[in-house]
Amino acid sequence: MTRSTRTGVLAGAFLATTLLVAACGGGSGPAPAEPAAEPVAAGQRTLTLYSGRDEELVGPLIQQFQEQSGITVETRYGSTTEMAAQLAEEGDATPAQVFLSQDAGALGALQGSFAPLPEDVRTAVPAGYTSTDGGWVGLTGRARVAAYNTRVSEAEVPADVTELTDPTWKGRVGIAPTNASFQAFVTALRVQEGEDEARRFLEGLQANDVQTFPRNTAILEAVDAGAVDVGLINHYYYVAAETPPANTRLKFGAPGTASALVNVTGAGILAGAAQSAEAQELVRFLVSPGAQEYFATETGEYPLVAGVGSPQGVPPLAELDAPELDLADLRSLDETTQLMTQVGLL
Amino acid sequence: MTGGSGDVGERWDGAAMAPTPMGPTAMALTVRGIVAGYGHEPVLHGVDLEAGPGELVSVLGASGSGKTTLLRVVAGLHRPRAGSVHLGADDVTAVAPEQRGVGLVPQEGALFAHLSVARNVGFGLAPTGRARLRRTAAATAAARARVGELLDLVGLAGTADRMPHQLSGGERRRVALARALAPRPRVVLLDEPFSALDAGLREQVRGEVVAALRAAGSTAVLITHDRREALSVSDRVAVLHDGRVEQTAAPRELYATPATARVARFVGDAALLPGRVRGGEVETVLGRSPVRAGAATGAVLAVLRPEQLRIAAPTGTGVAAEIVDVEFLGDALLVTARPDGGPAVRVRAPAGEPWRPGERCRVAAAGPVHVVPDR
Amino acid sequence: MLRRTGPAPAAVAPPDPPGHSVPAGPAGRRAPRLLLAASVGVAAAAALPLVWLLVRVAGADPGRVAGLLARGRTLTLLVNSVLLVACVSAGCLVLGLATATLLARVRLPRPGLWWVLAALPLAVPSYLLAFAVLAVRPDARGLAPLVLVLVPACTPYVTLPAAAALRAADTGPEDAARTLGRGPLAAFCRVTLPQAVPAALAGTLLAALYTLSDFGAPALLRYESFTWAVQAAYEGTVDRTGAAVTALVLAALTLLLVVAERAARRRFTRGRATSAVHRTPPAHPGRAGTAAAVGGLSAVAALTLVGPPAVLVGRIVAAGGIDVDWARLASAAWSTLLLAGAAGLLAVLLALPVGVLAARHRSRGAAAVESIAYLGQGLPGVVVGLALVFFSLAVLPGLYQTAAVLVFAYAVLLLPKALGATRSAVERVPVEAEEVARTLGRSAAGTWWAVTARQAWPGVAAGGLLVTVTAMKELPATLMLRPTGVDTLATRLWAETALGAYGAAAPAALALLLIACVPAALLVRAGPAREQER
Repeated sequence: MTRSTRTGVLAGAFLATTLLVAACGGGSGPAPAEPAAEPVAAGQRTLTLYSGRDEELVGPLIQQFQEQSGITVETRYGSTTEMAAQLAEEGDATPAQVFLSQDAGALGALQGSFAPLPEDVRTAVPAGYTSTDGGWVGLTGRARVAAYNTRVSEAEVPADVTELTDPTWKGRVGIAPTNASFQAFVTALRVQEGEDEARRFLEGLQANDVQTFPRNTAILEAVDAGAVDVGLINHYYYVAAETPPANTRLKFGAPGTASALVNVTGAGILAGAAQSAEAQELVRFLVSPGAQEYFATETGEYPLVAGVGSPQGVPPLAELDAPELDLADLRSLDETTQLMTQVGLL
Repeated sequence: MTGGSGDVGERWDGAAMAPTPMGPTAMALTVRGIVAGYGHEPVLHGVDLEAGPGELVSVLGASGSGKTTLLRVVAGLHRPRAGSVHLGADDVTAVAPEQRGVGLVPQEGALFAHLSVARNVGFGLAPTGRARLRRTAAATAAARARVGELLDLVGLAGTADRMPHQLSGGERRRVALARALAPRPRVVLLDEPFSALDAGLREQVRGEVVAALRAAGSTAVLITHDRREALSVSDRVAVLHDGRVEQTAAPRELYATPATARVARFVGDAALLPGRVRGGEVETVLGRSPVRAGAATGAVLAVLRPEQLRIAAPTGTGVAAEIVDVEFLGDALLVTARPDGGPAVRVRAPAGEPWRPGERCRVAAAGPVHVVPDR
Repeated sequence: MLRRTGPAPAAVAPPDPPGHSVPAGPAGRRAPRLLLAASVGVAAAAALPLVWLLVRVAGADPGRVAGLLARGRTLTLLVNSVLLVACVSAGCLVLGLATATLLARVRLPRPGLWWVLAALPLAVPSYLLAFAVLAVRPDARGLAPLVLVLVPACTPYVTLPAAAALRAADTGPEDAARTLGRGPLAAFCRVTLPQAVPAALAGTLLAALYTLSDFGAPALLRYESFTWAVQAAYEGTVDRTGAAVTALVLAALTLLLVVAERAARRRFTRGRATSAVHRTPPAHPGRAGTAAAVGGLSAVAALTLVGPPAVLVGRIVAAGGIDVDWARLASAAWSTLLLAGAAGLLAVLLALPVGVLAARHRSRGAAAVESIAYLGQGLPGVVVGLALVFFSLAVLPGLYQTAAVLVFAYAVLLLPKALGATRSAVERVPVEAEEVARTLGRSAAGTWWAVTARQAWPGVAAGGLLVTVTAMKELPATLMLRPTGVDTLATRLWAETALGAYGAAAPAALALLLIACVPAALLVRAGPAREQER
């Protein structure tokens, strides 16, 4: 047999094997999205979750839920805005049953896509930290912060982040424009200060050579490594970081300004899954004391269910003097991303 | 070699080559005792070759005889293990090809496919290296004129702007020659320049190329495996076999008085009949014939070309033979006849004669016969 | 003596059809209707993503689309992308030609090994290299490090065809140039190297296309290229019109690149002026020269192949070990194999009718069908991914987020690779052999099976392998289209790199490298390395 034939045989065998395996190994192969496409064995319950929250933050919790409930959760991770856009695009055809969001704005933007939550879930969280119509429930609270490298003194870091457009900060600031939390902050700015002020801020950042990162963890690393001096993130990334960021400190925003925005993460059941027991079970699990405890201790977020202790090392939720802003005001996410697109941050 | 200031005409002035007092001077090219090869196996085992000024010498050999290696040694593209190459009085054995002043016409021309005809021909005229910075308008004009001159010489005026792929096979050969001649090399080397051409075209292109070489007065070495080509165009022919030169001679001499049986067969159709030389005559199966002067003695092979033999009716003169085959050549017949008790010989007969296979006849040799040693 | 005699070439050679090799089969044999129909179907499939993207953009608010196109951002992205492509292409061309020269013209110890090593970076995803750079220099960002990463990753696209062309190049002109006063280097550069330019240009196009469509490395090194912008718009905006418009501009840019390269190649490709092939045996560079050549080649190979895993493993060691979720890694590896294998197979199935049509029944229609099938070459993964998200949601919601759509996306993206291999494999089977089989009583289909397929299939399978290797490391389309809950090694690796989890990324990176290296090595040994060893 010639060399080329032999190589051909090997190549063919390789392809044929993969095909064969693809044909026979349906069970462990890529599972089709619709539950109906695969006969569900008796007692095997599955759930499709769209998570706008990072896997390293919520993955262990979902694992815990799977073990407790026996429900297999197929999770699609992505950015919160991406998942919101995807849900909007998918409409009724969405395979998702539950949406877990990093921010209230995205949940608000999807208003009308959710099935009403069970009463016990809806009332688990105090008003002001959850939806007004019962479409979604707030899970945890989080504050916007400026993470800064310790080579900068705390006094230098402005408490109002809109001052970061000052030329002294040229090239020294990191943001994550695709991240829903940053976008919610911009929304808050738009609502509080008006479109023009928000545009001026974004253009100022852009003109000030702002460093853009794909997500908050990357900003935190860059701050800690000294690649940028200040980064705009949510407080819990600092708390949840695997290796404690030795060179980084947090500065909370000036009371009453958009910089001090307190936002919530939340979850909702998509309208198509209104009758899904699995979906309700998951949402109920997320507001359970166990899950709330997990957020407080593992990710440093503020639990919203009464009776669960605050996270260590950050000021209590009540002390954060959040701006006078309704979470429902954050739902104009589309306008925010359009503004950011015009400015050129997206 | 300073590589072409402005004066194109003095391109190969031999400045880089130290004149060797011992070196031969009368010859334009002198190759002595070349041993060369690839890996451990030598291809050339001590080759000598000479070419006088303006002379066209052919190296004739079958494939594998080493003729291309010899040409690469002369060009400086292949370093020999032993032996020397002189151009005129200069020992160039260790001189790089770009400083040697030899022109090369590779097989099928090997034109630079990305350059126009004019730029191909002018390639060797362009100053290289630092000289490029000192290029003068006069030098450029001189180079342009030289290109035109050469295209005229090879009969291709007007093709200057064409690209190689737009030329016919014959035109490519002529451009390749013009390119080689442009820097006025001390010797031009042609490697099977007419191979892969149709038979008719081949003769025409050959004529044109040789005429151009003669007109330029160049010394040339032509590598070929085609004996007609070697015999028809060369001043002298060197027969190369197995890395050794068997004989070097003028074409007529080579044909009429080959030094060995192998050369005899290689340069033309011949019957080699064993015989003995005694008293100025050789006795073969065809009887006794006078031997040419200076021939070998003792056991020999008589070289009998078809045109040297005569065929006659069974009633005529010569030894009795049977006609085995008759080949019609148009202007003549080539009759293969087997003399009784001997090997077959080929006889050239007038086209009009009525010979047929199976008939009886008589065969005789005309005039003195050349003999070579029987080894 | 290396000499090939043949009939004199025609006085004026007909120009090559755009971008393709010289045809072997007779033109104008009428194509069977079934073959024609299948080919048209394949072309339609290949055109689907672009068409659907156009449909989507056409359906959007025209004012919005105009606003998106006119914003200054478009120009910035354009300049960034063009600058990046120019730098990487130039770097690849230089490094690729240098490597090719060493491979083809210098006698190295174990020649086959160097061919394989020169090809293996094809199996290394660029984002892995970028990640390794970040692990060493966390503040690396922007053009310079990105070029540094993409050049070695893309160079094999130039090296392999250029080395093959150099080895096949006629060295007769080089000998002539030597006798005309050029030194060895000058003669090589002026005369032989240009013979490899069309092949090197074609390779540079592939490098440029890869660069333009690369998403991972620019994202990690934070260089705002078009692909990055499409992905950012996809991830960061609610209305996906922005992503669609940006993707369309990107597609236009890449298709422009393809057209420009074809024009450039036509300029450089001239009919061969000679059919004689002179070959100079590989040069012996001497001990120091060999050491330098081997050192240079090893350094590039080590930096691209050994560097990234070494850096990541170093992080594991520094962290005192990590927990590896082996089950998850195994399932990701399994999904990778299944998806990429299925993609290879589907691409071959799609390539067969078009390849046979192009090789055996050349006509204007066939050329059009073939050109459309090559469209995937000019469409970045992010564009195809986005278009298929739109398409499957709007038209085939049942298939949305299934492996089927992802495999289809791979097949469309990588069809050109399979098509090139299939076409040339079929072309190498002499038409005369088919004709003889017909006169010996075989039907057309029987002939195909008994003669053509038997001889062509190793080449076709090699094309499938190439698709498989490339699909394994594909990232942007995989991210958009994969079924919920399914990870491939590439998405695993991407998730870890995005987290900056250097140590945790190592197992996935190593697994991906190992899996992708096997077929890549197989591929090289099937082709150039084998010939080199003769």
